[in-house]
Amino acid sequence: MTDLATENWKDSLMVEPPLGVESNQPLSESRAKRPIEIARTRLLVAGTIFALCFAVLGVRIVDLAVNDEAEIARSTTGREAGTLGLARADVVDRNGMLLATNLPTVSLYVDQTKVIDPEDAADKLHAVLPEYSRDTLIKRIAGDARYVWIKRSLTPEQEYQINRLGLPGFSFEREERRVYPQGPLFAHVLGYTGIDNRGLSGVERGLDRSLAASDRKTPVMLSLDLRVQHILAEELSRAIVDFKGVGGAGVVLDVDSGEIIAMVSLPSFDPNGKKQQDDPNQFNRVTKGVYELGSTFKAFTLAMALDYGVVDLDDGYDASMPIRIARFTINDDHPENRWLSVPEIFMHSSNIGAAKMALDVGATRQRAFLKKIGLLDSIKLEMPEVGQPQSPTAKEWRDISTMTIAFGHGVAVTPLHLASGIATLVNGGFLREPTLLKRPAGVPAPGTRVLKAETSEIMRRLLRLVVTDGTGKKASAPGYLVGGKTGTAEKSSATGYRKKSLISTFVGAFPMNRPRYVVLAMIDEPKGNEATHGFATAGWTAAPLVSRVVTRTAPLLGVGPLDEDAAPVRHEMMVNELSSGAKLASF
Amino acid sequence: MARAAEILRLDRRIAGRLLQLNWGFVFLVSLPVAVGCAMLYSAAGGSFDPWASRQLVRFGIGGVLMLIIALVDIRFWMRAAYPIYGIAFVLLLAVELIGDIAMGAQRWIDVGIVQLQPSELMKVALVLALARYFHGLDIEEVRRPTRVILPIVMIVLPAGLVLKQPDLGTAALLTLGGVVMLYLAGIRLWMLGLGAALLLGAMPVAWQFLHDYQKRRVFTFLNPEDDPLGAGYHILQSKIALGSGGLSGKGFMQGSQSYLNFLPEKQTDFIFTMLAEEFGLVGSVGLLLLYVFIIGGGLIIALRSRHQFGRLLALGIATTFFFYVFINVAMVTGLVPVVGVPLPLISYGGSAMLTLMAGFGLILNVHIFRDLQIGRRPENAAG
Repeated sequence: MTDLATENWKDSLMVEPPLGVESNQPLSESRAKRPIEIARTRLLVAGTIFALCFAVLGVRIVDLAVNDEAEIARSTTGREAGTLGLARADVVDRNGMLLATNLPTVSLYVDQTKVIDPEDAADKLHAVLPEYSRDTLIKRIAGDARYVWIKRSLTPEQEYQINRLGLPGFSFEREERRVYPQGPLFAHVLGYTGIDNRGLSGVERGLDRSLAASDRKTPVMLSLDLRVQHILAEELSRAIVDFKGVGGAGVVLDVDSGEIIAMVSLPSFDPNGKKQQDDPNQFNRVTKGVYELGSTFKAFTLAMALDYGVVDLDDGYDASMPIRIARFTINDDHPENRWLSVPEIFMHSSNIGAAKMALDVGATRQRAFLKKIGLLDSIKLEMPEVGQPQSPTAKEWRDISTMTIAFGHGVAVTPLHLASGIATLVNGGFLREPTLLKRPAGVPAPGTRVLKAETSEIMRRLLRLVVTDGTGKKASAPGYLVGGKTGTAEKSSATGYRKKSLISTFVGAFPMNRPRYVVLAMIDEPKGNEATHGFATAGWTAAPLVSRVVTRTAPLLGVGPLDEDAAPVRHEMMVNELSSGAKLASF
Repeated sequence: MARAAEILRLDRRIAGRLLQLNWGFVFLVSLPVAVGCAMLYSAAGGSFDPWASRQLVRFGIGGVLMLIIALVDIRFWMRAAYPIYGIAFVLLLAVELIGDIAMGAQRWIDVGIVQLQPSELMKVALVLALARYFHGLDIEEVRRPTRVILPIVMIVLPAGLVLKQPDLGTAALLTLGGVVMLYLAGIRLWMLGLGAALLLGAMPVAWQFLHDYQKRRVFTFLNPEDDPLGAGYHILQSKIALGSGGLSGKGFMQGSQSYLNFLPEKQTDFIFTMLAEEFGLVGSVGLLLLYVFIIGGGLIIALRSRHQFGRLLALGIATTFFFYVFINVAMVTGLVPVVGVPLPLISYGGSAMLTLMAGFGLILNVHIFRDLQIGRRPENAAG
């Protein structure tokens, strides 16, 4: 190629008529040679340098992609070696995405004596820092003080833009602070640190010791998945807006390892911003808030009755009449007013049926069962904000308690308790402590068997039945075989239950033929809207939310879609014992 | 009749030139654009709106521009080289004077429908003017020191204006591209050395005239460690993206940056990070290879040209393109501090796309007219 090219080049040089006197004579061979060689060498040199530059880029990219620690260490850690005692390890999600880190940040201050035109400077700054009004800025800029803070902890973008404004008198001060790149997304889980960089809440507090340990090159890896967290938060906040709720909670839990994949409490707060101690938004509804979670508890009632052998699937109860006991009346919210088989009690969420079933089990065994699956004790978690479940003492646990607890009133637990309990029901019957730390893959998580494998097997079918034919139809996410249970509870207050203030919960798992994940969504005080015909119950509010979360996250979690109508799948999910000849029985 | 015959002849000529067009090069150029649109589609969370669709339209407009530029007689471009440079220079001056009103970066002139960025125009104009200048000299003259003064002025004036905007990235592109052209044109090495020495020598003097913030910016440029936040933040993001991409990446649309908004400007200067995350090492190195092919293609076209003008023109454009790629990738991977240089053909943005397509039009033009014999002055053209 080069030869051919230089050949052409030589030709052209020889044919071209040069300027001036020599214009009619072609250049001689010897005179042409030197420039050709110069040009050729130079192009070769330039080409080689270009190639070398690309090689450098290639090496750099490989280096970044392969070599982990060196770069992170150089970019964040090394520089702060001097800031003694403030060292703190990074926190990353299960895929290594950064959740908390230390960044040197800059703050903007002004030496007022050097400002040429305060009004002009204020105008320009206002464009970059719109949170400050022009007047506020002018007040801070105009005067004779030598050192006035304009804004602490600028973003790199802001620093870049302010730098670019080129305003005389303005300078940056370097500072060091804990930064949460994901902002409010992980605020409740991570918590935050104080001015001395020690954890004050959340994981920052719970794992303070290991985070503050001197070897900070190893980040602490949580079980959370940033992508799933983002989707859960997005769907939950959309539902809260749609239904004008005051808040919400969401959990995605790995049923086999107890790892919490996502955990969202809304409303959230900005962990990078100014924190107020009594900010109600800092309240963690998932781990700290205890709620009577209503009909979702019927899952435990059924599992309990089945596991003790008190009922079989072909048993049933008369649900035609409300139960009157003392001054209470127990009604059904979705009354069928007839004899219901055990699966139908679950499917139609019959309070009467569940209450009668629990009575047959008895108060002592009920209490023992709920304790066994961890619903009566607080969960040990890697953060201090854990709620203590509220339940009657053994003495207070009378028949009326037994009956109301059967459908989720009279015991208050955290949403995390519920998710963990459902995981136990569907994972083959093992209780595993939920954790926020990533477990090593391939090593089975420690767990205690608290349920017969057969019970777990039946519960999968029953939970699926609720979604195919019961109150949770809107939780269906085609292809992912969602099963679960709705629960709409009235919030209690000093004066009793408040009809209008609901807690709507859907707790589900997928895929029900071999459950991998529990997904829980709770909306605090939802109000019905036009799309739900005014209903604010879980089946209308929380169930569709879970459906969307499953559809969006399953591919990320490595759960592939399956054909829900395929014969083997339907066979696995089959429930025969339905008196009304429902669809599944005819299979 | 005569007029009809004339039109027919013109048609035939254009058809002939179309046939001669280096379609392989056109194809090569459109590959990164396709990659870019895929990334913009992904950046918008799987939507042609708002970026990918507009980028495609711009590529379409740029493509037409490229073809028109490629088909026009090269002698026209040679004649127009100085006027184009002049216009670009006047516009740069105008931005300096008028652009002062606009906040922040004084780079744009609003001409109704499009915002014109004279510094972009200058990138092509400078290459044209330098090629024109050196075409008019024979090698003996090139080696005369006095002949080098004018081209140096032609480089330094616009670079200085652009630097004052301040746009360090473009200033660097202009200077580096121009100096490489001087070198390739064959000026004596000691002159390059002297130039570098003079520049270094002038620095302490110029230093006195700089504002505090300007000094600080120079410090930041020279010593990125001094600006841990900017460099640290971006290197962290690149690290995360490249590291998590691994060998083959997370797959199209699977990168976390398509879902979330880590980087406020993910669709522009830092789009390489996204590509690295979604297509991994294979994708990012593959893209670099693609760029190598384009630059190589430009160099080959330059070598085949029988006239100095075409040779330097194609070399200059290829060099500018090289610096675009190099500075952007080096910046994204943390090798050089952050200066605003887009990733050519991939980053979202109209001005850069048009500049590049115009540049490629000129390269294609050189290819079509590679065998033409052009005299030292365009008037003397013999062909």
